[in-house]
Amino acid sequence: MNQTDDKLGQQVSRAWREAAAEKSPSFDHVWQAAESRYIGSRQNYRRVASVAALAAAVVVALNWQPPVEETTYIEIAELLESTSWSAPSDVLLPDRKFDIYQDMPVLFESTDPAGGALL
Amino acid sequence: MRDSDALDNNPHVSRLALEAIHSQVYGWALSRCDFDHATAEDLMQQAYVELLSGNARFDNKSTLKTFVFSVVQNLARSRFRRISSRLRLVRQYHQESVTEAIEPAGDDGVWRAVRALPARQRDIIELVFCRELTIEQAAAVMGVTTGTGRVHYDRAKKALRARLQDWAEEE
Repeated sequence: MNQTDDKLGQQVSRAWREAAAEKSPSFDHVWQAAESRYIGSRQNYRRVASVAALAAAVVVALNWQPPVEETTYIEIAELLESTSWSAPSDVLLPDRKFDIYQDMPVLFESTDPAGGALL
Repeated sequence: MRDSDALDNNPHVSRLALEAIHSQVYGWALSRCDFDHATAEDLMQQAYVELLSGNARFDNKSTLKTFVFSVVQNLARSRFRRISSRLRLVRQYHQESVTEAIEPAGDDGVWRAVRALPARQRDIIELVFCRELTIEQAAAVMGVTTGTGRVHYDRAKKALRARLQDWAEEE
């Protein structure tokens, strides 16, 4: 900055100070106000966050339904493999599934006819 | 190194350092909002809130003064962005009326000549002459390159000198 710049600078600086009437408020005053705003904004943030969390919880609670079991289909072949039925009298059958009779079994004839047929 | 009264969210900024530049930052904030004291104070509070919260984080890459001036500048810009077009019209009208009504009367004349400058030129003149920043720092605050800052600075000086010389001749 040369000498003419200095002179111009001084003129501008003086004129600015006088015209703009820069009487700044005290630092403490502005700082305290800023701190209160900061604390207030944090509290507001917490308040909004907790209200949002509460609202979300309410929405979830209202929309909650017991889980529905999905309908599944079973293949017939699989179903047949998985089920079996045996008659109560099967216990009377021999272990082997078939017997080859060596002798002709003796059939007991019923002596009590019923309706023309032997039981 | 952390100062004893450093801010929690801004370890390189101390309350004492802010207090030391408070009046200069206030002057800058004042000119950002057309010399409305209430708005300037509000702007200052907002700037301090940004520093307290750490939204504006100083990383020691520039001077604290340049940094805080930039914070104020950005806050003022975002605050007045919505009404900037209206303000521009008002300023244009205001400048025209000021230009017509300029009186070559000592410092008041200088002040009016400064006020009649385009916004960028006025800003850099204020930052360099009144806030004692270098052109590089002023350009950083204004968000322009140093080269652009120099151009604004030279044009502003020429315009001011020409206006003041005209008035001197008229007298």
